[in-house]
Amino acid sequence: MKIDATAVRSYLTRWESLLAIATILFIVYAAATTPGLLSSASLSNAFQVVAEKSLFVLPLLLLIIGREIDISVASVGAFAAVVVGLLTQAGLPFAVAVIVGLLVGGLCGALNGFCVAVLGMPSLVVTLGSLALFRGLCYVALGSTPITSPIPPDLITWSYGTFLGWVPNNLIPLLILIPIFGIALHRRPIGRQIFAIGGGPDVARYSGVRVLRLRFWLFVVSGAVAAIAGVLAIGRTSQVTPDAMVGYELDAITVVFLGGVSFLGGAGRMTGVIWSLLLIVMLRQTLLLQGQGQYAQGLAVGLLLIGSLLLANISQRIGAWFTNRRLRAAAQAA
Amino acid sequence: MKHSIVRSTGIMAVAAGVLLAGCASGTPATSPGTGTGETGPAVPGVREDCKDGKGAVGLIPKLGTDPYMVVVKEAAEAAAAEIGGSVIFTSPSEATGAAQIPFVNQLVAQNVCVIAIAGSDTDSTKQALLGAQEKGIKVISWDSDVDPSARSVFVNQADSASIGDQMLVSMSKMLGPDGGDVAILSSTPTAVNQNAWIDSIKKQLETNPDYAKINLVTVVYGQEKADENARQATALVQSYPNLRGIIVPAGIGLPAAANALDQTGDLGRIKLTGLAPPTLISKFIQSGEVQSVWWNVSDLGTLTYHAAQAMATGKITGAEGDAFDAGALGDYKVGAKGEVILGEAQIVTPENLNTFKF
Repeated sequence: MKIDATAVRSYLTRWESLLAIATILFIVYAAATTPGLLSSASLSNAFQVVAEKSLFVLPLLLLIIGREIDISVASVGAFAAVVVGLLTQAGLPFAVAVIVGLLVGGLCGALNGFCVAVLGMPSLVVTLGSLALFRGLCYVALGSTPITSPIPPDLITWSYGTFLGWVPNNLIPLLILIPIFGIALHRRPIGRQIFAIGGGPDVARYSGVRVLRLRFWLFVVSGAVAAIAGVLAIGRTSQVTPDAMVGYELDAITVVFLGGVSFLGGAGRMTGVIWSLLLIVMLRQTLLLQGQGQYAQGLAVGLLLIGSLLLANISQRIGAWFTNRRLRAAAQAA
Repeated sequence: MKHSIVRSTGIMAVAAGVLLAGCASGTPATSPGTGTGETGPAVPGVREDCKDGKGAVGLIPKLGTDPYMVVVKEAAEAAAAEIGGSVIFTSPSEATGAAQIPFVNQLVAQNVCVIAIAGSDTDSTKQALLGAQEKGIKVISWDSDVDPSARSVFVNQADSASIGDQMLVSMSKMLGPDGGDVAILSSTPTAVNQNAWIDSIKKQLETNPDYAKINLVTVVYGQEKADENARQATALVQSYPNLRGIIVPAGIGLPAAANALDQTGDLGRIKLTGLAPPTLISKFIQSGEVQSVWWNVSDLGTLTYHAAQAMATGKITGAEGDAFDAGALGDYKVGAKGEVILGEAQIVTPENLNTFKF
């Protein structure tokens, strides 16, 4: 088999490949300097606490590639959890309450989708509004006392359990949804349509993509996935609380952008986002084990994001400079 | 196209409704309130490496930057220097229970002898703390309790009901016999201590004839942020023209509200009381416009550290009646529900202001 040198080079210079190398190097370095980092307890803790935020990453990946954004995910998830909690308290079986909760999440997403797709409002503004709206509803519906008593103990025990030695159970929804979202995005027509919309909505529409409908459904999916995260939050914190997952949307958006997804839409890969998630989780865990507080962790993640964007920008310019020079040389030779 | 969206939304709404209705009528209610709070795991005995009382105590505050929490930390460190052992202080950047979970895990990874936590809520960290106990780490709470099944001892600064009552006594004294409209500006809607105090204030207002002329108009929240507290305080003054006093049971809120109302010129007409380090509002206390209900925070840190080491060495187990020595503070006893109470909360007035160092 002949290996195409340019193909290899272009693969290696792709953002997700660089990110993969950086992540692996970081883990090797961190494991050598931080005792216990790769112990099963440390790994399961590190991933267990990000179960909810990392779910938000999936719909956000699709939305941002399609030139939209949904910053209401954490509020929608918390609201769905509040619905689940209130229904359970009212005596409904927990499983039924969860199904209703997922539908409510989908409906919240539908509201966002309706405003964006049908009314044509910008998604940042719409979801900024619903971020506040659904968080407010959490407090209105629940009052100030978190629900703790009728939550099934099995859910809590499950959330804190692991399989394969260290993988936390509450990562299962993410592990199931990653391949589904990945295949939909990269192997199915719907994925190509999302990229087409991100590349240029008008062109996409003239090529037969039903832009508005797709946009609408992306928001519905986002709401439903957010609701799953809400249920996970109930298990992890042993309660339904109106301030569940506050601010998690920003962490999820950070992962998406560090994963190489274009701010302008139309570009991004699932693998990139997975590597960026791994990198941030391991970075935070390393700092935690070294005794650094949350402020220092935030600082490090912020520097990482800005630094990597800067690096990408510079390398692009250098690349462009070389191409220009080659073109000029070729023109002179001709 | 628009129709299909409207239709699908409708279908989802109907589906949710049908499911709800079906279940509400069809299935009998499962017995609620069985609760997740079974008794905690069998707490292992005293660990060999902690027996000498020189082990590490992990201190988890609500917020790493809160000056109150920092005073506790410094007092605990001073106590460690005196009787041995060490303090590991962690710093969550959000005042939510969920944000404390990673720090519980961190202290478990560092295999400290004791975790001493000020719970941002009662239940979020419960499961992680139970896990810590299974690994032989003692758990105590301080300042604000976590679920009692997840800790052995709660070091309480003062009896909760008495703090609420003292705030009301203080407000009532400042308002005089005429009473008037009063609002509460609390920290967050889920804050455990604040809600307990507010409940006890409400109960007093309903039942105690001394407060018949005091009328509670609303409870709002400053979210543990200075600017939000300032905003809420000025908004209260605008929306309730007859307002005569605000009770601010939160350490960040009271100074922020006092400064904001001082700037708008409403302070004086509006009296403030609540819970804050007297040193932050000493000039307002001096002028008689503000009072505070307070205790010796530094003593809370000292007592917490002594209680932690008493747990680590096996001197106490958290059972009612267990006694331990807290150095200069004297002897303390574990009371009902595993509570160790530091003492009475005091009302800070111009007369006793200089006895409070924080």
